[in-house]
Amino acid sequence: MKILNLTNEEKNMLQGKQGEMIKKSMEILETLGDIYGAERMIDINNVHSPGVSYRVTGDAGLNFVKEAAYKYNSCSKCIMTLNTIGIDYDKADELGFSKEFQEKQHELLKAYESIGAIGTYTCTPYLISNLPRYGEHIAWGESSAVAFANSVIGARTNREGGPTALAVALTGKAPAYGFHLDENRFGDFLVNVEIELNNDSEYGALGYYVGQIVGDKVPIFDGIKNPTLENLKALSAALASSGAVALYHIKGITPEVIKNGNMLKENYENITYGKEEKEEVLNKFSNKGKVDMVLFGCPHTSIDELKRIALNLKNKNFLSEVWINTSQPIASLGERLGYNKIIEKSGAKIVTDTCPVLSETVRDYDLMLTNSAKMAHYAPGLWNLTTTLLSLEEIIEAAVKGYWGGNI
Amino acid sequence: MKLEGRTIVKGEAKGEALVTHDNISFMGTINPNTGIVIEKGHELEGECLKDKILVFPQSKGSTGGSYMLYDVVKNGYGPAGIINVMAESIVVIGAIVAELPMIDQIDINKINTGDQVYLNAGEGFAEVENKTD
Repeated sequence: MKILNLTNEEKNMLQGKQGEMIKKSMEILETLGDIYGAERMIDINNVHSPGVSYRVTGDAGLNFVKEAAYKYNSCSKCIMTLNTIGIDYDKADELGFSKEFQEKQHELLKAYESIGAIGTYTCTPYLISNLPRYGEHIAWGESSAVAFANSVIGARTNREGGPTALAVALTGKAPAYGFHLDENRFGDFLVNVEIELNNDSEYGALGYYVGQIVGDKVPIFDGIKNPTLENLKALSAALASSGAVALYHIKGITPEVIKNGNMLKENYENITYGKEEKEEVLNKFSNKGKVDMVLFGCPHTSIDELKRIALNLKNKNFLSEVWINTSQPIASLGERLGYNKIIEKSGAKIVTDTCPVLSETVRDYDLMLTNSAKMAHYAPGLWNLTTTLLSLEEIIEAAVKGYWGGNI
Repeated sequence: MKLEGRTIVKGEAKGEALVTHDNISFMGTINPNTGIVIEKGHELEGECLKDKILVFPQSKGSTGGSYMLYDVVKNGYGPAGIINVMAESIVVIGAIVAELPMIDQIDINKINTGDQVYLNAGEGFAEVENKTD
């Protein structure tokens, strides 16, 4: 087993010379480094923290963060943006979130703010000004953002949980293991994509299929042509839902594989993705019936997505609940550009800062239509409903009629 | 039967094994207020983790899982210990903070639900007494 060598500064942290919370943080990071055979710590300047919804932290995590904030007066040493929360910050009452939940959520946000974190409240920090550079060592949580940052940007992070994201923010250090190291960024699987992928839900279906097979290993895709930012966002989210994928490459598309050429390990395995495999995923999420919930924006929409949704919703009228989840800055731009007005006129709601994965449902729903494989995967367990994965256009058509697949 | 693996989080625990060959996301698979598995179609759907030695291949999914594992343990509905094939960071981080005994690198095919397990995570082994023995 490798030995973790610490610098004098890091040893001082571990011995408590910079306070109890730094000591506690270093102990967590050292334990993790020992488990995974890290030889040293690396300096980190960029944290995106998960564990910001009260639904995720519960009282245990809330007290953990409050202790760091108030008992030890901790302060983040670097940029620390915050993931999606459990309420729409501005419309929590209007949307019906319980008072008790709101109070706990605000307690948690205040504690994070006291530590110096930035209240971005989004799963797409890379769209609203936390954009790491190629090769930068970062410590990110939010499974979809981890996969996006590692793969599309070429930054380097392991899948951090709330406690380690906090520990890294307070110390500026992370153990050098896993995806921080060159040798772990090679591909274990070659995925031959034999069909054309036409929209975000089809990219999601691909990610979902591959994630279940590869677990936490690295897939390399061949055959994907000219994906958009939103396609890659959907692919990243799905890979990290059915699996624990932190890093993937796409031949000819993502930066590391372009730079290094062949990145496959010697004994890699093949996966074929064609029509049959796509059907397998779509069949898993193919419930029919009266539509009472529609969800776009998992992960949170980009401005172009918001625009496309608005154009598709023009002059439509919905009876069912339609949510478009996004970050506050994107919603704010949408407001100025008139997209929000079109969306709201249709009866749909722009819901910022949160999503059904991270909030508690305020009503009973039976069937949710979504274009996100990640949402289709999580919502049944978390909101106790069934889901169907469809394209944006199919969903809008169904939501106007009020049902999907057959007669009312 | 003694199964030797790798120490993840030190500590000892005894309990009945709850075994699945599906991966687990503590965010989305488990309700932290009841310890019950809520992921639709999961091999353990409807089962409760409380006081069990939870045996599964590895963690998957949301990075919120670390705090949710911590929360379910603090709420008193968590497992007594964890045995994995290969420990993935999200459950490891949760187990460190929750001080939950955990080992990995175990052939979980040798453990069945209902077996009595003594987990000595510090020494990196599990002693398994098969239910049918």
